[in-house]
Amino acid sequence: MERMTDMDRTLTPRPLAGAWRALRRRPDAVIAAVVLVLFTTMALAPRLFTRTSPRSCDIREARVDPQWAGGAHPLGTDSLGCDVLATLVHGVRPSLLLAVVVVGVALVVGVTLGLLAGYYLGWVDYLVSRTVEVFLVIPLLLAALLILSLFQGVDLGGGTFDVILLPAIVLILFSWMPYARYVRASVLETKNLDYVTAARSLGASDLRIMVRHVLPNAVGPVTAILPTSVAGIISWEAVLSFLGIGVRPPATSWGIQIEQGSEWVTGGAPHILLAPLVCLVATVLALVVLGDALRDALDPRLAR
Amino acid sequence: MAQITSRITATAGVAAVALTLAACSPSDVEGATDGPVTVETWISQDMETLFPGDAGSYDNISVLDVVYDGLVRYDPETTEPYNYVAESIEPGAENLVWTITIKPGLTFQNGEPVDAEAFARAWNYTADGDNGLYSNYFFSIIEGYDDMQPETGDDGEIVAPGAVDELAGLEVVDDLTLRVTLNKPFAGFATVLGYTGFFPVAQECLDDVEACATEPIGNGPFQVTEWTQSQELTAEKWADYPLDETPDYDAIHWTEYATGETSSWADFQAGQLDLSFPPTAEVEAARNDPELSQRYVERPGSALTYLGFSLYDDGPWQNVEFRKAISMAIDREGIISSLGSGSATPADSWVVPGGVPGGEAGTCEWCTYDPDAAEEALRRAGGWPEGEKLQISLGDDAAEVEYFTAIGNSIETVLGIPYELNIDPDYFSTRAAQGYDGMFRNNWFPDYPLNENYLSFYASGEPGAGHFGWYSKAFEDKLDEAAQAPTLDESIDLYQEAEGILAEEFPTIPFRWSFSATYYSERLDNVVLNPFSGAPMLRAVEVTDA
Amino acid sequence: MTRYIARRLLQGAGTLLLVMFVLHLLTTVAIQLNGNPAQAFFGDKVATPAQVAAVEERFGLDDPCFDQPGNPCLGPFAERLGQYARGDLGTNLRGREVADIVGAAAPNTLRLFCVVVVTWLALGMVLGSVAARWRGSAGDHGIRLTSVLIDAFPVFVLLIVYRYVVAVPLNRWSKETFGEDSWPPYWFRPSFDPAHPWATVLVPGILLGLAGSAAFIRLVRASQLESYAGEHVRTARSKGLSEPRVVVHHVVRNSSVPVVTAVGLTFAEALGGAVITEGLMNIYGMGGVLWEAVRNDDVGLVLGIVTLLTTVTVLVMIAVDIAYALLDPRIRLGTDD
Repeated sequence: MERMTDMDRTLTPRPLAGAWRALRRRPDAVIAAVVLVLFTTMALAPRLFTRTSPRSCDIREARVDPQWAGGAHPLGTDSLGCDVLATLVHGVRPSLLLAVVVVGVALVVGVTLGLLAGYYLGWVDYLVSRTVEVFLVIPLLLAALLILSLFQGVDLGGGTFDVILLPAIVLILFSWMPYARYVRASVLETKNLDYVTAARSLGASDLRIMVRHVLPNAVGPVTAILPTSVAGIISWEAVLSFLGIGVRPPATSWGIQIEQGSEWVTGGAPHILLAPLVCLVATVLALVVLGDALRDALDPRLAR
Repeated sequence: MAQITSRITATAGVAAVALTLAACSPSDVEGATDGPVTVETWISQDMETLFPGDAGSYDNISVLDVVYDGLVRYDPETTEPYNYVAESIEPGAENLVWTITIKPGLTFQNGEPVDAEAFARAWNYTADGDNGLYSNYFFSIIEGYDDMQPETGDDGEIVAPGAVDELAGLEVVDDLTLRVTLNKPFAGFATVLGYTGFFPVAQECLDDVEACATEPIGNGPFQVTEWTQSQELTAEKWADYPLDETPDYDAIHWTEYATGETSSWADFQAGQLDLSFPPTAEVEAARNDPELSQRYVERPGSALTYLGFSLYDDGPWQNVEFRKAISMAIDREGIISSLGSGSATPADSWVVPGGVPGGEAGTCEWCTYDPDAAEEALRRAGGWPEGEKLQISLGDDAAEVEYFTAIGNSIETVLGIPYELNIDPDYFSTRAAQGYDGMFRNNWFPDYPLNENYLSFYASGEPGAGHFGWYSKAFEDKLDEAAQAPTLDESIDLYQEAEGILAEEFPTIPFRWSFSATYYSERLDNVVLNPFSGAPMLRAVEVTDA
Repeated sequence: MTRYIARRLLQGAGTLLLVMFVLHLLTTVAIQLNGNPAQAFFGDKVATPAQVAAVEERFGLDDPCFDQPGNPCLGPFAERLGQYARGDLGTNLRGREVADIVGAAAPNTLRLFCVVVVTWLALGMVLGSVAARWRGSAGDHGIRLTSVLIDAFPVFVLLIVYRYVVAVPLNRWSKETFGEDSWPPYWFRPSFDPAHPWATVLVPGILLGLAGSAAFIRLVRASQLESYAGEHVRTARSKGLSEPRVVVHHVVRNSSVPVVTAVGLTFAEALGGAVITEGLMNIYGMGGVLWEAVRNDDVGLVLGIVTLLTTVTVLVMIAVDIAYALLDPRIRLGTDD
């Protein structure tokens, strides 16, 4: 979806410090930030929120209704008898880690390729542009299924990182293109500006020019789409899990919880779905609001 | 430019609206009251063929059941075979040579006679390994089967096709008599003959097998009139059907579902289907509905889901005590009542109890949930290696993943063995290649009602072979002995003894039996389930309001 | 212009070949690593090597390269390309013509996409324009919040809730209110009905379109805001044109350019939504077919369908580029604002 907003790539960034000041003055951005801090804490220290283990499940205690504060299962249990609150709290880490890793790596890959393509043009640009096109053309789900079925036999271990590795690889493969396009476009714009030409004539190396003069120009638009991208990946994780190719059980994530809960909406236990769904929507909402605010803050023309 | 833009948008919009409206005119509503009386039911979308020798799934078997007639059919109560197309089926001495006579005057829907030749050509075609058909393996019991199979090289490629095209053991004595010589004595041969793979086919069908796979030429009460593959299938009653097992209504319409039975439930509720069963989450609501629960039939199913171990690999599971510990740590009751309410029952035997001759409950001594005994057995087995995880492998079916997560949880809670699910889309090939390490899911859907069918596939022939890498000479000797018993009853008893050996050596853990249940619409009556597949017996159904 | 189109077409052909080759490699490696799909044919039965070999031959998987990990299987690929060049899309594993499968599945998916695109355009244009026109108002905030909420809500939950909670009562109600023979009951059928494809695809399409519309609302809003700030709008206003005229002729018109582009570009992405919608609403369409094909390692079917899809996508992308060049004055006149 990011790739649709090519329109506002022509903006010159406002210094990040100024953006920060602008952000603090917006109440919606502040609330969003609080929500994100809450979930990040949950990811880092789940034990602060629940003492129950998500893996101690008693099938004979399945689908207990929420007992709220004070009960053994504040948010009830799911169809396997696992505590919903515990699963939720422990599911934050894989979901968030996946999103951050994917966006991080995709950003590095995309920025590097975009920079090279825009700066050198010629065959480098041709190669990068064709690759972008190939990846835009292959439907993500198709490739995800193919790649995940390729590696299904590989034993990756059960650590948090191992669990998300496969979905992460697939999502990275298919999310770097927008960054490359943004950066390439903004490189094309800046590269012939006076100060860059001046730096070049002063004998600065290509690398130095790229990093010191060209790249900062691209930071603005790219930063603005980051929160939305993270939100997008979190949603994608849910979709992959729904289709059975995301994080593998018994490891858990919000996507898996939503997938399992969706079955019981009509079966008298909607809480199994609602709990993770509310968290997912809240997180995505917070990220998008923050992204919007960031875009406005970084965009001098819209922030009049 | 402006014109271009708005024109594009407007055209797209107008076109879509026009198409929508045009398609929605109520005049093309079907199902008017004076049309044929049609039973609306479902199958799943992956049905690929209706050629009898190539059909092996629940779906094509239940469709072929009304399109073709076999030599025998099975009694819905006792599951015992009775002659249908066959006049008589007589075993010779030692159950080695069988003489089958066919009722006179029967024809296919295209007018060709259903005679000994019709069976012989069907069996020869399916038994010919070069054709690569699903039911090929059924014919391995008939003499001359081996000569019809292609020869394979070291890499598994075909180096030479089968030497002959006809089963040496199959002899057309006269128009209505067929003599079959088996490889070795088999008392249950008559029971096998009602299976899809043994149906007769017309010559016209063999002349163009591809066409016949989508437009079958049957000898049963219904004729396939239209099959839009993956979407819907219609069969209408064959007016000239000579035999008596045929219903009063006019047609059957199957809607094909991508995700099987449970996705048809909403359509059943909306009145589009006559037969369906709810997804697990809605089972209770359906059961508590006083009106709906009047239109319900159930019967124990015959498919076994069980767990195997990679006995071809080293590991704690080589110890029988370890396998007992795992078995006793699984809370079958609890898991099934939470996840499989109304569609499964806990299993404590390898042969379905009551469902087939020789099947008894409780042959598995260690299939009851008993945490203390499980811990004790694990101690005897020497425990589980510290820091290791028990791999549980299965295919990528969402409902099964849930079941096996619950099994894993149960094992982990009772024995403290951490587990990991290995969800493998290529489950079948990995299993055939002995590619698993630890435990894995298995499922057995019987082909014909005889306890032998639940047991003979454990016979791997040599140590380390087969899906499980399990071999027991005593077991295989017992199977041979049973096959050669003079009467079917004695044979069944000996197969029971073979099951006893299995229960003793405990290579696999029975987990659950399928359980068939169906709700039906107000207009249906006399809905009976096939004891075997659990599918509603469409030949018996009556439509009350026409 | 002609040269531009020719160059784009050539590039498109290159992309197409590359995509086909990449997918061929992926499916081949999948077969090599995971074992031949012929085995799955036997399910729970134990098959002899001869039986497996015979089925491999029947499925066209008997080339030894499928058993040699690392072998790119160029032979079968070249053979397949030759087949395609002759206009033959080949068969799937079980011998069904790929062309037949596509012929049955593609119309349903196209219908779905039609409804989806109309929903996108309608919602995007109306809500986006309103939000941009009254920027900063309560309406604007409301629309933005709604669009984000829609975005965050997983589409499969929406569809499941619709199918199991809403559709059945609505269907009954409409039968009672409008009668069995009217068309509202068809709109609210819980599943697709091949006999009434448009009526039964309408609601699923709208729901899927609703889920994807957020991006369009934002896109329209953003590009219209830019137009409002642009020189030509200020000029138009200063010329004394009425406000509705300015909005319709200068703002909405200009903002439709990126919207048209986006529709073209989201084509491949929409297939993801199609997999879910088709599965849940029992529509026999391309998404579901492709999904199953990949699951079954059905090389012939995967490549056949992907080749078709890619061709369409590439053509759409080229068409969009050309439309862009035609529609956007800045590109066509070579000026910049």
